[in-house]
Amino acid sequence: AAVAAAVPRQRGLLCSQNYPLYIRSVPTENELKFHYTVHTSLDVVDEKISAMGKALVDQRELYLGLLYPTEDYKVYGYVTNSKVKFVMVVDSSNTALRDNEIRSMFRKLHNSYTDIMCNPFYNPGDRIHSRAFDTMVNSMMMQVC
Amino acid sequence: MSRSPGRKQENHKISRELFVLTYGALVAQLCKEYEKDEDVNACLDRMGYSIGIRLIDDFLARSAVKKCRSYSETADMIAQVAFKMYLGVTPSVSCNSVTGNEFSLILDKNPLVDFVEELPAERASLCYCNLLCGVIRGALEMVHLAAEVSFLQDRLKGDAVTEIGITFLRKPEDRKHRRN
Repeated sequence: AAVAAAVPRQRGLLCSQNYPLYIRSVPTENELKFHYTVHTSLDVVDEKISAMGKALVDQRELYLGLLYPTEDYKVYGYVTNSKVKFVMVVDSSNTALRDNEIRSMFRKLHNSYTDIMCNPFYNPGDRIHSRAFDTMVNSMMMQVC
Repeated sequence: MSRSPGRKQENHKISRELFVLTYGALVAQLCKEYEKDEDVNACLDRMGYSIGIRLIDDFLARSAVKKCRSYSETADMIAQVAFKMYLGVTPSVSCNSVTGNEFSLILDKNPLVDFVEELPAERASLCYCNLLCGVIRGALEMVHLAAEVSFLQDRLKGDAVTEIGITFLRKPEDRKHRRN
């Protein structure tokens, strides 16, 4: 099973909007459970970013690596410089997936997300409804599962 | 070519993304300001016209082309020289009528819609690239060719191809002129 989610930046200090712009899981059952997993992993993402300290923030790599392993899943994170977070949840049983494959998947997600942002009719913060994005995510997830 | 003297040859290219995003922002803003698609289309056409009447001189100066002798030559010139020069694409030209004054430019690739997948549901009859129609119409008018230019098909609306139709309007005075 694999899940990908894109989460927007936190807006302002008082209201933190961390809702997924896009969430897709294969197979599609248990989607609610993935919502929960993704949501909790956001805290880990925030922790990782803040733990780096000011000096390192500039050199911070976008790919955050394995966020935390649970007994069933491994969760990977990626944050853009505009604070958009991508989270990927993969079955623990999937040991064949290597680090650089995950990195390239995140890069593809990032590139597709950038294309969506360039659509003049897309308002930042809207849920993502894009055939091109769906196709890309589907093909990526098919490769993994 | 009369563009260089007295002016430093500045070949600074501006990024394609910036241009496409600017055009997109323009259309999106018009959509916010006008409720009806027809109004947005008309506005884009007017803007394009305003660009076309100015762009034609730049085109003629840069391309140093000879005067076109027929409508068919004109259509070819628009597709093969002008589109190539300004948008980097070359639409294919086909003649639609026996009378020889209706042509179609079929655009395989359209850089203006790079990031637009499809029109939003509430904007189904928006002609996203209507600016181009205005540009062609304005440019032709400045070389004394009246034409009607519009989108016949649009990939963004679900059609198979994007097709711009140019209909040259014959004026009775033209005939007399050519005989002289």
